[in-house]
Amino acid sequence: MRDPELKRVNRRFLLLLILGIALALILMSLPLYSFNAAVYVKKSPNTFVGDEKYLAAMEEVESVAAGYRDQGFDVEISEEALERVNSKGEKTSLITFTIQESFSKNLFSFLGCGLASSRVLTLILILLGLALACALLGTLVSMDLPQRSLPRRTALLRSLASAALLLALLLVPVFVLTNNYTFSRQISLYNKDLLTEGKDLLFAKLDRFLFQGGMGSGIDNALSQMQMQTSPLIWVLMPALFLSLLAAVQLRRGSIKSALLRGLLYFFVVVVCLITLFPYYVMTITAFRSNAETLDMYFLHLFPTEWLWKNLTSIIQRGVPRYLLNSLLVAGGATCVAMLCGIPAAYAMARMDFKGKKAFLGFVIMSQMFSPVVLLIGISQLMNTLRLNDSVVGLMLINAAFNQAFAIWLLRGTFVSISPEMEQAALIDGCNTTGALTKVLIPMAAPGIVTALIFVFINAWNEYTISTVLISTDINRPITVGITQFSSFNMIEWQYLFAASLLATIPVVILFMSIEKHLTSGLTSGGVKG
Amino acid sequence: MNSIHVKHKWEPYLWLLPSLLLIAIFVVFPILIVFKLSFSEITPGGVIGGFIGFQNFVEAVHLPPFKTVMLNTFWWVLSVVGLSTLLGFIIAMVMNQKFRGRKIARAILVFPWATSLVIQASIWNYIIKYEYGSLNSVLLNLGVINQAINWRTSYPIEFIWECGVGIFVTVPFVAFCVLSGLQSIDGSLYEAATMDGAGFWSKLWNITLPMVRPSLTVSTVLNIIYVFNSFPIVYTMTKGAPAHKTDTMITYLYMLSFYERKKGPATALSVIGFLILCLCAGIYMVTVMRKEETQ
Repeated sequence: MRDPELKRVNRRFLLLLILGIALALILMSLPLYSFNAAVYVKKSPNTFVGDEKYLAAMEEVESVAAGYRDQGFDVEISEEALERVNSKGEKTSLITFTIQESFSKNLFSFLGCGLASSRVLTLILILLGLALACALLGTLVSMDLPQRSLPRRTALLRSLASAALLLALLLVPVFVLTNNYTFSRQISLYNKDLLTEGKDLLFAKLDRFLFQGGMGSGIDNALSQMQMQTSPLIWVLMPALFLSLLAAVQLRRGSIKSALLRGLLYFFVVVVCLITLFPYYVMTITAFRSNAETLDMYFLHLFPTEWLWKNLTSIIQRGVPRYLLNSLLVAGGATCVAMLCGIPAAYAMARMDFKGKKAFLGFVIMSQMFSPVVLLIGISQLMNTLRLNDSVVGLMLINAAFNQAFAIWLLRGTFVSISPEMEQAALIDGCNTTGALTKVLIPMAAPGIVTALIFVFINAWNEYTISTVLISTDINRPITVGITQFSSFNMIEWQYLFAASLLATIPVVILFMSIEKHLTSGLTSGGVKG
Repeated sequence: MNSIHVKHKWEPYLWLLPSLLLIAIFVVFPILIVFKLSFSEITPGGVIGGFIGFQNFVEAVHLPPFKTVMLNTFWWVLSVVGLSTLLGFIIAMVMNQKFRGRKIARAILVFPWATSLVIQASIWNYIIKYEYGSLNSVLLNLGVINQAINWRTSYPIEFIWECGVGIFVTVPFVAFCVLSGLQSIDGSLYEAATMDGAGFWSKLWNITLPMVRPSLTVSTVLNIIYVFNSFPIVYTMTKGAPAHKTDTMITYLYMLSFYERKKGPATALSVIGFLILCLCAGIYMVTVMRKEETQ
C-alpha cells in the first residue's frame, strides 16, 4: 500500500473508533433509567365517570397536583375505574386517582453510587478510556508504516485496544443484569409501608440513596411504591461498542468488510451455540436447585445458591439406578442383536452377488421408513401373543428390529468402501467366508462398525414411545419412561426430573460426539458408494 | 472386482437370514396385524371380532377431532421439516467456514440430536412455564420485559411452541447432513467461479445447492418420516389438550387406542398413517436407487 493511502485508511478507522466511543458516551448521558412513584392516591367509591362526585374528586386531585407542580415536581395524574355489582345487585364503581412523579437518570449518575452495577459501569468506562488511549498511541506511532511491518510495541497497543473494547462489550449485559437485580431487590426490600410523610423529601432522599451511596434516614418510606425501569435503549450500547471493536480490529489488521463478516460469523455461531446450550444449562442448574428455587421466577444466579447433591441421592432412592440399568440392558441387548444380524447381512450385501439383492435393499430401506409408533397397536398385540410384553427382552428385540435398517445401511457403506482384495487373498489361502469376515474385514471396518453400534445404542437408549406402551411394571421401566414419575398431573418435581434426565443424557451425548463425523457421511453418502 | 466368490448359490441367503427374520417378525408382522385389525370389529374391551369392511375407517373419519388432527399433522410436518431444513442449511453454511472454535461449536450442535426427545420436551416445558419458567426469568432480569408473560395462553400458541421444540431438535440433523455434503465439494470449483466473477448468491445457486442436493434430499425425506412419527414432544408438552386440538396423528392414535378404548378407529388411522409413510418411502427409494444407478 502506498503511504498516503495508508495514512488515509488509518485515519478513517481511527475516526470510526472515536465515533463509536463517542456514541457510547452520548448513550450513557441519555436518560436510561426511569423511576415512578405514586405521591398521592385518592380513592373515590360509588363514583361514575362524569357525575358530580367524580368532578368534585377530580377537582380535589387537581389542586393537590397543582401544589406539587408549584414545588417544581413534574407530576402526572392517572385514573382507574373499577366497576362491579354488589351483593344487592346494585352497580357500584370505584375510581382511583393517582398522582405520579417520575424522573429519569442517565448512566453517569450511577457512577459511585455504591451499587454493584455502578462498579461494572465504572469498569466499562475505564476500559473504554484505555482502549481509546491505546488505539491513539498505537496509531500515532505508526501512522505511515505498512500494516504488516508494525513495530512490536504498536501491535501490542492495538491488541490491547481491541481486547479492552471487547471486554467493555461483554460487560454491558452483566451490567444490566446486576443493575436490574439489585435495584428490584433493594426497592422491594423497603417496600413495606405506604407513603405517609416526607413526600417533599422523597426524591432528594432517593437521589442520595441511589446516586451518592448514602443511606438517608427514612429511606424505607421514600422507596415504598417506587418502581424502576431500564430503558431498552441500553442495549444500543452493545452495537456502539461493537462498532468501536470492529474499528479497533481493523486498526490491527485486514479490511473492514472482512472484519465485519468475521464478527458476524462469530456472532451467529455464538448465538446458535447459546440457544442450543440454554436448555441443557437450565437442566443442569435446575437439577441441583432446591424445590423452592425451581419455582422462583426471580432466581437469577447463574448457578444454584447451594449445590444440592442430595437431589442425586434422593433420585437414587426412587428407583433411578434400576431404570438406568434397564435402559443399559435394552440398549446393549438391542445393539448386540442388531449387530449380530446386521453384520452378516451387510457383508452379503456388500460382497456377494445373488438374485434379489436389489429387492432386499429395497426391503431394508422400506423398513427404515417406519418408526414403531405408527404400528404401536400391532406391536403391542404381537408382544402379547409372544408373551414378551412388559419385559426388557421384548423392548430389546423391537429396538433391534427397527434399527436393523440403519445398521445394515451404515455397515454396508463401510464394507463397500474397503477394497475386497485382502479377503480375496484370504479366501485363496483356504480361509472360508466366515473367516474372511471375522479375521479380515471386521478389524478393517472397525471404525464404521463402532459408529453403527453407537448409533443403534443411542437410538435404543432414547426410545420412549414403545416403552410407554409395552412396559407396565415399574421395575421394568427404562430411564426415558422412568423419569415421568417425577411429573404427575398436579405436581412436578423439576429438580428430580432434571437430575435423572442429566444422568440419562450425559453418556449418550458423549458417545454421540465421538461418532458424529462418521455417522453423517455414512447416512448421506456412505450407503451408496460402489 | 468388488465381490467375492461363494461356493454355494444359497450361501448369501443364509447370511441374510437372521436379519430377514428379525425384520419379518418385528416389523412386517405388526404391519399385517394392524391391517387385519383395521378391517375387524373390536369391542371397547379389546375382543377382536369378525370382518366388517371399511366401517372402522368410516368411524375414524367421522370422529369430531379427525379434521383438526389431520390439519395439525400437516402443519406440524410442514413447519418443522421446512423451517429446520432452512435453518439447518444456514447453520451448515456457517459451520463450513474456517474459524476458531469450530470443533467446539460442532460438538455443541450435537447435543439436541443425541438427547432423548422426552427429556428435551420436559426442559422446554419448564422453560416456557408462566409462573417460574426460565424464559420469563431471564427476560425479566435482563430488563427486556417488566412483567412475566404467559407464553402459552391458548392452544394455537401451545402448538406453535411444540413446533418450535420440534424444529430445535431437528435442525442439528439437517445441519450435519448438509455439512457432510458441503465438505465433499471441491474448493477449486469456487475458485474457478470467483475467477469468472461470480458473486456469493450465484455461487450458492450454481455450485452449492446442486452439490448438496443429494444430502438435502436424504435429510428431508428422513425428517418427514421422523417428524411425522414424532410422539414425545406433543405428548409431553400438552398431551393433545384441550380436546385433541394440539394432537398430531400419532399422539391422537395413541390416545384413541390406549385411553379412549377405540381400538377400531385407531387401527384404521394407523393404516392411513402407514400409507402416507409408504408414499414418502416410495419417493425416497426412487431417489436413492436413482442415485445408486448414476454412480
